[in-house]
Amino acid sequence: MARQTLGKRKRTLSQQQAAWALLAPFLATYCAFLVYPFFKGVWISLYDWNLLAVAMNPAAAKWVGLHNYVHMLWGRNITWGPVSHPIIQLLALAVLAGAFGLHRAGRLSGRSAIPIAIAALLIFLLLGFTPGEGGRWFDRRFWPTVGNTVLFVALAAPGTTIAALLLAAALNRETRMMAVFRTLFFLSQVLSVTVVTLIWQIMFSPTQGLIDNVIQVFGGSPVSWLTDPHFAMLAIVVTTIWWSLGIAMILFLAGMQDINREIYEAAALDNARGWKSFWFITLPNLKRTITLVVVLQIILHFQVFGQSHLMTQGGPDDRTQVLVRYIYQSAFRDSEIGRASAMAVFLFAIMSVFAVIQFLIGREKSE
Amino acid sequence: MKHLALGLALAAGLASPAAAEPVTVNLARFFGACEDAGTDTHTSVGEACIIQSIINAASQEIPDVTVKTLPTDWGNYYDHVKAMFAAGDPPDIFVIHRSSIPEFASLGALADIGPDLEAAGIDMSDWTEGAKKAVTYDGKIVAVPMDFHANLWHVNMDIMKKAGLVKDGKPILPHSPEELLAQAKKVKEVTGKDYLAADFSQFPIGVRLVLSLIWQQGSNIFDGDTATIDTPEALNAVKAITQLFDGGYANPKLNYADSQQEFLNGNAAVLVNGTWVVNEYTKQAENPDTGLKDYYVSDFPQLFDQPATWADNHTWAIPSTLKDRNPEKYKAALQVAAFIYNHDADWARTGHMAVRKSVLESKAYRDLPHRAEYVGTEKIARDTPASPEYSKIQDTLNRNLQSIWLTGKDPKKALAEAQNEVQDILDQ
Repeated sequence: MARQTLGKRKRTLSQQQAAWALLAPFLATYCAFLVYPFFKGVWISLYDWNLLAVAMNPAAAKWVGLHNYVHMLWGRNITWGPVSHPIIQLLALAVLAGAFGLHRAGRLSGRSAIPIAIAALLIFLLLGFTPGEGGRWFDRRFWPTVGNTVLFVALAAPGTTIAALLLAAALNRETRMMAVFRTLFFLSQVLSVTVVTLIWQIMFSPTQGLIDNVIQVFGGSPVSWLTDPHFAMLAIVVTTIWWSLGIAMILFLAGMQDINREIYEAAALDNARGWKSFWFITLPNLKRTITLVVVLQIILHFQVFGQSHLMTQGGPDDRTQVLVRYIYQSAFRDSEIGRASAMAVFLFAIMSVFAVIQFLIGREKSE
Repeated sequence: MKHLALGLALAAGLASPAAAEPVTVNLARFFGACEDAGTDTHTSVGEACIIQSIINAASQEIPDVTVKTLPTDWGNYYDHVKAMFAAGDPPDIFVIHRSSIPEFASLGALADIGPDLEAAGIDMSDWTEGAKKAVTYDGKIVAVPMDFHANLWHVNMDIMKKAGLVKDGKPILPHSPEELLAQAKKVKEVTGKDYLAADFSQFPIGVRLVLSLIWQQGSNIFDGDTATIDTPEALNAVKAITQLFDGGYANPKLNYADSQQEFLNGNAAVLVNGTWVVNEYTKQAENPDTGLKDYYVSDFPQLFDQPATWADNHTWAIPSTLKDRNPEKYKAALQVAAFIYNHDADWARTGHMAVRKSVLESKAYRDLPHRAEYVGTEKIARDTPASPEYSKIQDTLNRNLQSIWLTGKDPKKALAEAQNEVQDILDQ
């Protein structure tokens, strides 16, 4: 009996061992394809690393320490002023004051107020830096590119969320027609970025495009959506919302189906239907899903590349140049891998900040 | 049976030790995709299909060599090729512009093929001077030239005739910015059409137009290590163009596809585009559904003191690593280059100019449609000085020019900023 137990023990793994065994393939893959490249990227960002030169001669990489970061973030004779970007800076101050005021009035808890206040303060401080007389940024394209990326996220993330939410609310009915509609709206999600941008380039074309043809039917004059500096960003935002609607919509539908029917029935007795029930029952019950969708969208859209690269080539006049496209251009067209890696690390840092802010707010709401 | 086959193969190998093993040559190119190009190099139409038919023919006709075309699109071509180099797996032969040769050659990435050309059957004495210069870097021949291409003045003769701007069957070209504006005005007044179409908003056709006008005044955008963009000459060049936008005679918001569409639909008298579309537009003009009926193509007009037009070359290069590590494959790649070079006359059907004197002098070449209309282009071709940073500089200029014609930025201010940016690039 004792021998048998011994033999059995030899063959079975302890719970911990089993966990490691099961985790090992994932961990190995994760380390090889995510952790290692990430740290390698950080390492490369400390070098002057020409893609082609290093390919021909590995000794061509030169250690430059933090130079790539300084070149990316700083310039000659940079000064700070509270009204360098008056509108946005004042807006940030207003948000800061608002968060403080609401917190004092007990309308906003500290957990929500603090991250909002920190974000507003950061925007106020960061936007205060501008080149003084005779000064200029070392990399003049970097900060405008960051601005474009933030603007894109600021339009695309809420745009997708709101559109998906409304669509989900409209389709949250158990009829056959609704199932067909759901499939139709989800279809865009499965298309590749090349197909999506091709479809929308045709839609936006000033000569053959559907949109401009409709405008002309109503007597308007055609708009060059993709090459007009006022509309180019909007055009890629619209494309992106259309493209990323599907997943958000499905998440909202799932969230809506989790809400107890009895609440609606009770509300109906109190005469709360349609918009009222959506506003007072659906929305509050969807808080967690909304937070999840917003976080997903922000993280996703910070990495926007294909739409800008294929539809507008970052133009006109760099108006739709976004961070990932700039990283790509620096790395491959300009062969500056070190500089591109520094920008990638920067992108990682701001995405982390947004993720943490969203996480804190989300935790607050769910409680 | 198997043994017999093996024995035979071995015997063949022993009998002729020089008999080459079958080699697959990986070839990278842009020019677009052509699925069913076939191998008939004489009848294919358009850049993509002509080059692919030549490559297919090479694969079929060169003994023991198979050519595999790697999928690379035009927009990301150089990025892709560089990434392949960085991964240690560059294409065995790839097309490269003269303007991009310095970037690759300065790092020793291109094989010095000069000593092996004769053995491959390429006679350098048949090359034009420009072609020889295009593929020479640091005294070495680093590529096989294929063509010479430039910006041309594509003309819709019907519109020009209506506006009274045709004489002796040829369009009257402007000789100054003032004449350019006067012509534009006339075309608009008489026909209601735009005078000029070009891609001013994406692909750098607008940059090449401005460059040509800068060169026509004897200036350039950089000289050695000094940027020279904030100059009266550059301002003159920019103003010659912006006056067309201001008058409503040209639309700066057209991209490459839309500008071509405007011209082919018969909505613009002149299109600025390269030699690569002559063959295509000739075919389009024969189609009764196209708005363009009477097509003419002319040398780029001279608006200032001296004639000049933007130009570049397509050439074929082989990585230096291939020559060092795999002589067999290197030899095969060179054979492919020679095959393409020998089909220079076929390639020239696109509208590009040949780089071989024998082809240029041939009757078949001179008889190509519209060829006689732009024979002067070769003499007036110009380019920026060779620089490893060429693509970056061109992009900088493109962005800053776009800020002038798309966002209404003050030209002087935009040129000053372009000057600063290009100087930063040259200083690195």
